[in-house]
Formats: sequence, C-alpha cells, structure tokens
Amino acid sequence: MEESERESESERCSAPSQTSEQQTTIETSGQKLERGEDVVETKLDISSDKFDPLLALYSPKVPLPYPNIKCFNNIAEYESYMKGGRGRAKPENVEKRLRKAQKGKADPERIERLKKLMVNNPVEEEEGEGSGVKRPPRRQRKAAKNVLTRMPLHTGSPLGELNRCVQEKIRVKVHIRTFKGLRGVCSGFVVAFDKFWNLAMVDVDETYREPLLGQALYHEKALTVTRLFEKLKVQETVALNAVERKGGDNLLKPDPHSSSSQLRDQTRRTDPKHTQERSELSEKDRSTSKVTQQSESKPKVKYGKVHTRHVNQLFIRGENILLVNVQQD
Amino acid sequence: MEVSHSIRERTIAENSLVILLQGLHGQVTTVDLRDESTARGRVINVDAFMNIRLEKVLYRDRRGRMSSMDDLFVTGRNVRYVHIPDHINIRETIESQLAKIHRVRNFGAGGGRKEYSKKK
Repeated sequence: MEESERESESERCSAPSQTSEQQTTIETSGQKLERGEDVVETKLDISSDKFDPLLALYSPKVPLPYPNIKCFNNIAEYESYMKGGRGRAKPENVEKRLRKAQKGKADPERIERLKKLMVNNPVEEEEGEGSGVKRPPRRQRKAAKNVLTRMPLHTGSPLGELNRCVQEKIRVKVHIRTFKGLRGVCSGFVVAFDKFWNLAMVDVDETYREPLLGQALYHEKALTVTRLFEKLKVQETVALNAVERKGGDNLLKPDPHSSSSQLRDQTRRTDPKHTQERSELSEKDRSTSKVTQQSESKPKVKYGKVHTRHVNQLFIRGENILLVNVQQD
Repeated sequence: MEVSHSIRERTIAENSLVILLQGLHGQVTTVDLRDESTARGRVINVDAFMNIRLEKVLYRDRRGRMSSMDDLFVTGRNVRYVHIPDHINIRETIESQLAKIHRVRNFGAGGGRKEYSKKK
C-alpha cells in the first residue's frame, strides 16, 4: 500500500511534469523523484517530524539512529533479552557454575559452615530437644512433634484420660491379656504412653495367672478379675493352712491318696515342675476344704496358679493391654 | 549410641515409646515374651518395630527350662514386657534420645538426603 502511495506520490509529482516537454519532464521527474526520495527519507527518519511508522515497518532499509544497535524480530525477543535470557553470563550465574565445577574439592568456607552446624557438646543444649540451629533464621521452626509432645494432645479421648492419670499421678490398674482372655492385672503409675497404648509404668504390682494347658483350657470358664483375686485368696489361705498343718502331713497322706490318686497323676502330668509342697497342697484341698470347694467352681489349684510380683519400672507393649482401669479414691 | 539411619524408622521411633527402649542400649534387662517365656540379657539394639537383639542371654522358656544363649533376636510383636532397670530415669532417657534424633536430623544442613524423591 505504501508502495502504491509512493508510486502515487511520485506519479503526482511527475504528473505535472508530464504536461511540460519531455526533457524537462524527465529532468523534473528526476528532480521530483529525488524530492520524493527525500520525502521518503524524512518519513523514515525516526527523529524527524514526518516519521511514518507504517512506512518504516515495510521499507527495506530504515536508517538506524544508532549504528550498532541490536535488532530483534519481535517484542517477545526483546523482553527475553531484557530479562537476561537463558545461559546469559550474568555474574551470579558465572559464580554458580564455577562452584558446581569444583564440587568435589574441599572448600574451606564450606567446612567452616558445616562445623558451625555441628553440635559437639550435647550438654550445651538448652532443652532436651533444642540443638541450636545455627543457620540464619529464615523461617519459624515448626513445633516439635515427638512422643512427649503428643501425650497432652489427646484431650477428650480415652488417651486423654490416660494423660490425666500421668499428670495427676493416679494409680491405674492395667488388665493384661493372653491370647484368649485375661492374664492378669498390673497396678501402678503411668509415666509415659503413646498412641499404641504402650505404657511405661513405675511401682508395678502384677497379679497374674499362669496359662492353662490342654483340656483345662478348653473346659475352663473365662477368667475375670474377681475370679482372679478369689483364686489368689484361696491360694493364700491354702498356703497358710499348709504351713500350719505341716506336722499333720504324714497322717493325712494315706487317706486322700486312694481317693485322689487320679488327680495326683494329673498333677504330675501337667506340671512336672511342681514341687512337693504343691502336690501336698492339692491333696490338702481334697481332704480338708469341702467348704472352699463349694464356694468356687474350679478350686483345683494344681496348675494355673496365681502369682504376684513387684516390678519397679515396667514397659508394657500396648498390644497386650485389655483395658486400663483408673483407680479413683 | 547410634540412631537409626533410616528416616522412616527415626520418625516412627520419635513418635512412640520405642524410643524409651532404644535408650536402653547396653543395659541388662529382662524381656517377657508373649508366650510367657523370659529372656534376660544385655540389649544390643532395638529398632522402631520393637525387634530386640540381646546378647549373653539367660532364656527361660514357658515350661520353666533354663538355657543360655550368646545372641537372641526377639520379634517386636512377641514382646509383652520389658523390665526397665531401676537406675534408669524414664523421662530423661526419652528426652535424651529425642535430642539425639534432633541433632542427627539438623546436621544435614537442611535440604539433605531425602528418602523419597519429591518428583510428582
């Protein structure tokens, strides 16, 4: 279009020349053309008043204001040039590349930095967990989450109740399970716990029953806490009786021997580790305590004896806990 | 006293009471097993899953027979009790173990080794 404009312009310029004679017309047309070119040049000159941008975009040679200026094909190219572009040799990039190249070599500055981060003396730590991060504090350290901080988090749930027992040092009774049913009861103070109900306890009194074996297990009624403690009482009374009547053992032996020979055999078979005392006790059971036999369903204390022991500090794996009973006063 | 090299095991230990057992490295303790047997020996190592390694062990099986072993490995699930020696302070042991983990974690100068890559 500009071409046509230019042509039309030159035509217009040359139009009046056509009216005059040929030579003059040629001359004048030449002059006119020159004038046309001049006009075009001023139009292409950026600093002139008559700058025509449309003309400049399409003309083959536009004089550049600065001789060795960098030319771009579009604005995007210019933009990326201004941003630095990829692989531009900016001073920071150069340094980074150099550093990467020397990665393996020992760098004294890096060693210094690492040394500052190391904590040599554990006693110097402020709290149990703080290790004094020497890095410049970029952002707030996230709140430490460990087993101790998680203990108070369970408020409102049963574990929160357990936490209360820890804080207020309330004595609890922990029921321990065997694969089927109750094994025994641990009574003590909880010092620490976790979400698996693993417990760390102190001052523990454990009352438990040895597991039954074989047919007894099959036939046995489920053990409950009350029955457990009844058994314990019975055992204790029987033991007392045994101590009292130690003198009269020999007299009593032949009588129950015939009647309870079967039971005695059973004793020997199931519990080879039984001492003399215990077999005596069982005989005593048969011969003396009819009353006690009636009060309990299974008074035979040959196996499955109830034991008590005291442990100062005990760790219980949560898997074995049936329930925890808070002992309120 | 070494902390586990695995980040996964460290976090599991950090958030549970296994860390108390890890503080017993080198102590002589009794471990009561699920099957009513007991093992008394020196704790070599306890991992995050409560697997316990003991040495110079006096093992009493559930029938009461005693035997001694140089090395015993107990799977975590088979543990019922661990008797903690009287001279050990539970709270302090837990705190010192947590401090060790904290130290090991921060030593990596931030942006250290990652167990799982973050690529999506």
